[in-house]
Amino acid sequence: MRLLASLALQNLGRRKARSLLLIMAVAVASGVVFTGATLMRSIDSSMEVGFTRLGADMMVVPEGALTNITAALLTVEPTDLVLDEDLFAKAGITSVSRAAPQKIARVEHSGIGSHHDSVDLIGFDPALDFTVRPWLVERINRDMKPGDVILGAGRDAALGSELLIFGKPHTVYGRLGRTGVGTHERGVFMSFATLEALAGSVHGPNGPPAVLQKGKVSGFLVELAPGATPLQARFAILSTLKGVKVVTGDSTMSGIRQGLAALLNGILALMVLMFASTALMVSVLFSAIVTERRGELGLLKAIGARRGQIVGMMVIEAVIATGAGGVLGVALGVLVMRLYERSLVYYLENIGVPFVWLDGPSIVIVAAAAIVMASIIGGLGSLYPAWRASRRDPYDLVRGEG
Amino acid sequence: MLSCRGLRKDYVTERGEVAAVDGIDLEIAAGRYAAIIGRSGSGKSSLMAMIGGLSRPSHGEVRVDGTDIWSLSENGLAAFRNKRIGYVFQFASLLPTLRLVDNVALPAMLGGGGRSSATYSRAAGLLGQMGLGDHLDAYPSEVSAGEQRRAVIARALINEPALILADEPTSDLDEQTEIEIMDELLAVNRERGTTLILVTHNLALARQAEQIVHIAHGAIVA
Repeated sequence: MRLLASLALQNLGRRKARSLLLIMAVAVASGVVFTGATLMRSIDSSMEVGFTRLGADMMVVPEGALTNITAALLTVEPTDLVLDEDLFAKAGITSVSRAAPQKIARVEHSGIGSHHDSVDLIGFDPALDFTVRPWLVERINRDMKPGDVILGAGRDAALGSELLIFGKPHTVYGRLGRTGVGTHERGVFMSFATLEALAGSVHGPNGPPAVLQKGKVSGFLVELAPGATPLQARFAILSTLKGVKVVTGDSTMSGIRQGLAALLNGILALMVLMFASTALMVSVLFSAIVTERRGELGLLKAIGARRGQIVGMMVIEAVIATGAGGVLGVALGVLVMRLYERSLVYYLENIGVPFVWLDGPSIVIVAAAAIVMASIIGGLGSLYPAWRASRRDPYDLVRGEG
Repeated sequence: MLSCRGLRKDYVTERGEVAAVDGIDLEIAAGRYAAIIGRSGSGKSSLMAMIGGLSRPSHGEVRVDGTDIWSLSENGLAAFRNKRIGYVFQFASLLPTLRLVDNVALPAMLGGGGRSSATYSRAAGLLGQMGLGDHLDAYPSEVSAGEQRRAVIARALINEPALILADEPTSDLDEQTEIEIMDELLAVNRERGTTLILVTHNLALARQAEQIVHIAHGAIVA
């Protein structure tokens, strides 16, 4: 193995120009793969955040509840009526992709703001939510836990500070950006458990609001499944669930969301096609290199190299060259992404469009995958022609046949 | 030492099958210097390739020291070529990416000797015997054609083979260098007792041989 690796390295070292060209070609290809994959994943995440900021496609509330429709459906509206929290989980409606339950209690004398101010305490399920957390502009660097609250943009308190609600201490976990939606901007958001824990402190004319009971919610924010139309979903919901009302948001937004998602999928398919053609190109390149070196391989066989040694040497050489190309490609990709960050991302963030970079560990995984993929492509690309050449008689190879 | 029976090699061409070697029987005793002569295209190189385990015969058998070499497994034949046969080709057959000493040591390393200091000191010793002691670290492109051919002879000797096959080893060299290279090969034959089979169309070189095999149209004529 050491001998084969050493022969491979010597080959690469002595054929500097060819090795360099090969490494550069692979570097460009793997750089495109690395940068493309990272940017596409980042754009995907950014678009998801952007899309969810557009709000839900529709809202499902108890029949008889009064609703004040806004351009963006980000929170349910306060109402005395309630629905079961597991309504959608039980129904399994295929035209609905996500249904995020929310509880909302409009309370007075909570200790937030001035004495007579009413405050919307909004409970949400972090696991299903898609209209609250995407608007987080700052938060404590840990997961949300019981007792944490998130403040709408219209409320002012320092991150991490203590906030007393009905005399009970809560921690300001995060703050939301401006949405222009009153309930969202004035709301104090928390988990269901945190909100339910306040039930004993909230007093209305008929006792604590029903929505503060466990298992009850004020309504659901609904996202349509890909390809489903608002009309289809509305029909499916009304025919499946009893005692509900469907409030439809701006259907233009739903159309844009679904259209852009389809476009992104189309771009991803194009990238996959490009990666496949790169792999094919590298394979053809190695096939040509093996053909060019038939004489040398024949000579090695003549002096006693076994078939495994011939194939091993060629594959190791290819893996070293393409692996080096992969590393160089990742380095070039990092430079390209730096430029991208300082130009387009900077511009997007200046105009308030969020750009969510892939997290560090994921970038490392993509980089490692790009390098490994480059090496595998090189190895596989050289394997077949090397194996074919190794089957020939040494005399045929030396004479340039086979 | 060497025994060939009914050796035949057919090549498929656009005009059908052509027999390059057509049923040759041949015996060469151990330690002999034999010359295979004939015109270009007579089939002498094809015969040499079959004898040396480089090209599979269409028919017939080749025995070297009693071993039917073409009945060996692929790896068995590779090991046989590595240990028992040394080749000197009619072209510059050194790997251009390796130094002369690496080229000479290579068969020993491929045969399982590894990159040991003993292998390298043996390679250096052989290059020294060929007058290339000052060129151990030179690459093939940095030495003359004659020096390259001497390095090839050194490489052929590294595993102390029983048989050396030289296929027109001096065809591209000047007269003086040709004499020097032949002197080296004959010295190996005489001093080490290694069987030497030389393919040539140079009758002057062939006349020094103990056995001359004359081939025409793929068959032995004398």
